[in-house]
Amino acid sequence: MNADFILYLVLNTLMVVAVAPLFVSMIKKVKAWTQGRRGPSVFQTYYTLAKLFEKEVIYSPRASLIMRVTPVVNCAAMLVAALFVPLVFVPESVGGIGNIILFLYLLALAKFFMALGGLDAGSSFGGMGSSREMSISAIIEPTTIIVFAALAFVFKTLNFFEMFAFSAANGTVTTPILILVGISLFIILIVETSRIPVDNPETHLELTMIHEGMILEQSGPNLALMELSAAVKLTLLMAVLINLILPFGLATTLSLAGILVAAALFIVKGSVLAGIIGLFESSMAKMRFFQLPSLFAMAFFFSVLIIIIEVFA
Amino acid sequence: MYTELFFGSVVFLAAGFLIPLVLYDRDSRAVRKASLGCTVLAAILLGSVSLAILMGGGSIAVTVYQPLATFSFSFLVDRLAAFFLLIIAMVSACTGLYAGEYYEHLDGGVRRNLLCSATSLFLLAMVFVVSSANTLSFFFFWELMAASSFFLVMYEYHAAETRKAGLFYFIMTQLSTLFVLFGIIALSWQTGTFSLATRGVPVTVLSTVAFLALFLGFSIKGGIIPFHKWLPYAHPASPTPVSALMSGVMLKIAVYGLIRFLLDVFSPDLWWGVLILLAGTISAVLGVIYALKEHDLKALLAYSSIENIGVIFMGIGLFVIFTTVSLPLLATLALLGALFHSLNHAVFKSLLFLTAGSVVHATGTRDIERMGGLAHRMPWTAALFLTGSIAIAALPPLNGFASEILIFIPLFTSITVVDPLLKVLMLVCLSLLALTSALSAACFVKAFGSVFLALPRSEESAGATEVAPAMLAGPGILAVACLFLGVYAYQLFLRAGFTVPIPDMLMTGTLLVVMAAIVLIVLHYTSRQPVRVSETWGCGAPSQLSSAEYTGHGFSEPLDIIFSSVYRTRIRNERAFFDDRKTLFREGRAEIRLMKVFEEYLYLPVARFSLDLATRVSRFQNGCLDTYLLYVFVTVVIIILFLGWS
Repeated sequence: MNADFILYLVLNTLMVVAVAPLFVSMIKKVKAWTQGRRGPSVFQTYYTLAKLFEKEVIYSPRASLIMRVTPVVNCAAMLVAALFVPLVFVPESVGGIGNIILFLYLLALAKFFMALGGLDAGSSFGGMGSSREMSISAIIEPTTIIVFAALAFVFKTLNFFEMFAFSAANGTVTTPILILVGISLFIILIVETSRIPVDNPETHLELTMIHEGMILEQSGPNLALMELSAAVKLTLLMAVLINLILPFGLATTLSLAGILVAAALFIVKGSVLAGIIGLFESSMAKMRFFQLPSLFAMAFFFSVLIIIIEVFA
Repeated sequence: MYTELFFGSVVFLAAGFLIPLVLYDRDSRAVRKASLGCTVLAAILLGSVSLAILMGGGSIAVTVYQPLATFSFSFLVDRLAAFFLLIIAMVSACTGLYAGEYYEHLDGGVRRNLLCSATSLFLLAMVFVVSSANTLSFFFFWELMAASSFFLVMYEYHAAETRKAGLFYFIMTQLSTLFVLFGIIALSWQTGTFSLATRGVPVTVLSTVAFLALFLGFSIKGGIIPFHKWLPYAHPASPTPVSALMSGVMLKIAVYGLIRFLLDVFSPDLWWGVLILLAGTISAVLGVIYALKEHDLKALLAYSSIENIGVIFMGIGLFVIFTTVSLPLLATLALLGALFHSLNHAVFKSLLFLTAGSVVHATGTRDIERMGGLAHRMPWTAALFLTGSIAIAALPPLNGFASEILIFIPLFTSITVVDPLLKVLMLVCLSLLALTSALSAACFVKAFGSVFLALPRSEESAGATEVAPAMLAGPGILAVACLFLGVYAYQLFLRAGFTVPIPDMLMTGTLLVVMAAIVLIVLHYTSRQPVRVSETWGCGAPSQLSSAEYTGHGFSEPLDIIFSSVYRTRIRNERAFFDDRKTLFREGRAEIRLMKVFEEYLYLPVARFSLDLATRVSRFQNGCLDTYLLYVFVTVVIIILFLGWS
């Protein structure tokens, strides 16, 4: 492990934590605009998190240790996963950091604990959320893995660092297949970050909520950690999409100017993508839960098709 | 030196077998302690010698007894055998520790001595199967293993359920033995020898038949779908340490058999690999889908074993495929994945079985719907079960992930190199493997959540208390092993001489700890107010009832509906009316029953056919001496004719 890499670890973590709440607010802002509202400030999520950190933690008397460790494990897993996706600066990979399979399973680790946390207090809302979340994550998994296999196929590597370095070196989209993969990645992003049409991040209604249901019993700083983790997850999946499809400006060598430019560009690109997500969400209605498998099947066949096109091209 | 240590452990196992047998009529804890103590000592010796062979090289080759010129009882422990001996040693040591306490809580008086004795015999048989140097002694000990495990399953024979399970198990295991015997005979016709190291037997009709018979035999023993039904019957019926040994170790002996024959005897064809891969994939997916539906804790674990054996078979199938299409690097990876997953599954599945046994012991029920809230009452058991759940859900940084990634990587990489038709196969298997591991995460969230979290849903569960330390020590060691094998996976492979392209889990593990520490520090310095324990918002309901909780059934309901085509249910409506026009309803019955697809469409027809055949054959038996004399006479005439002819 060299100095560059350690610097990368610190830089990437700080960057992801700093920008994640911004993107969440931006999506909300765009959704508000489409509904004819002014919407909260783009810094609202920062204020909310700061406020939550000030508040007290209340545990249900039924809650066990799981409830207490879930926010920490969830946040830690997400922050480690954040190291797998370089946002602005791509160093040489060390010790298998950046492995796409490990990345997916770190997200799964966070989800596993979140689902247990949902069940812990014995509230039926939490149980409902956990049950639905695990069901959805199970049936989206084949699609996710096929999309990542398509990426591995296109880039001939299993590592995000090498993928990003390759696309950064070329500056533009290297193959039309990538645009198709991008569409599948977008669907995965929508599903994994609990957005319309799969879940509704805004409501606390038992009929629609999945992610919100699981964290209903969390409070104070613990809730802040859960919200932050969700924001980080959103940012990571956005970063995968951005750095593969629109890699220009991504820094591959360590220089202050390069990193500042890359960071600025990343925020701009991320804001655009956040806008697209907001518009996408606004243009859709929440789907019935049991119609989701057909959406996922569509995404699955789409990604298999991509690979088959690539194979026989 | 190795040989002496090996025989030392055999002597200890034999002592573990004989002590309780000799002192059969003395119902004392000391006898059973001595027997299980011998088992644990044997396991430690066996573990150290196999570890030495595995890491340092060398082997044990010794002939004990040669009754015939062509046949001997001889043992050969090479690295492959040493690896499986290590699995046996690891699980049996921890199970032995656990059983010392657990057996004392069983009913049955002096029969518990026999249980200890049979456990040792079972272990001894497995050690000998793995270290057999020729196919005949392999078969002999295979049968000994089957017979001794049957006695273990039948321990609580007074329960009708156990008798049914035992009989089911006996028939299946004898079928397995039959196929293995048939395969071995066919193989010896092909090669003219009973050796287990006749490398590169060419693909002929006879060797294909031999392979298929052996594959069938090992599949039945390993619980590959559709030959899996004995597992969910036998595991819940047997005492917990026995379930742990059968699921953790005995299934791996089937894996060992398959790998040994594929590596050292046959030179496989491509379609053999495809067959193994497909059998594995189907078992993996269906196994976990059935596990999701299960609410008997031990049957759930049994189905999950079917899934994991499926994953191991996938690795073996990939190994064969990549070998035949000359991709040796990927083949090695897949084989290492299969082997490592065998070890890991042995560790976490016996951990789960032992802790599940503790839970069943504390609550007196196996139904997860009647549990709940045990995390407060049995915190250590809960922590151990959680470790096992994380490991089996293949989550980093524990060992389940380390071995599944070894199977994922060759699948990912092969897509770029193999020919188009195989690519499609690889893609299908890849997505199904991903589905399997995600479903198993869902399954274990359900298992852990329903058993340990929320409020107790029965009085037994509310009154449960933590088990004795001895019943925590065994699983505790296994839990540490889960962590160690996961975090140090990369380094262990390096030490064994393989550079595998898996991420260094030590790095990820350290980073996880560092990040958790940072989060905790931030929490510590930002928190302004003390933590409060108080009733949380429940939509205005004054207090929470355990009956309002999400149950295991409720949890898996969405997946039940999504996979409803797999769970074939049969809905029956019977209605009776007072009048002919069917207007006045008198009584009715509606029934939704989960169809036992494999039993109804596969097992029962076969059973009916054999019963039919037996009825026909029994007509020859009329109980009259003259008729039997006639049979003997006819037989003699036929033999004379046959001998004269040739």
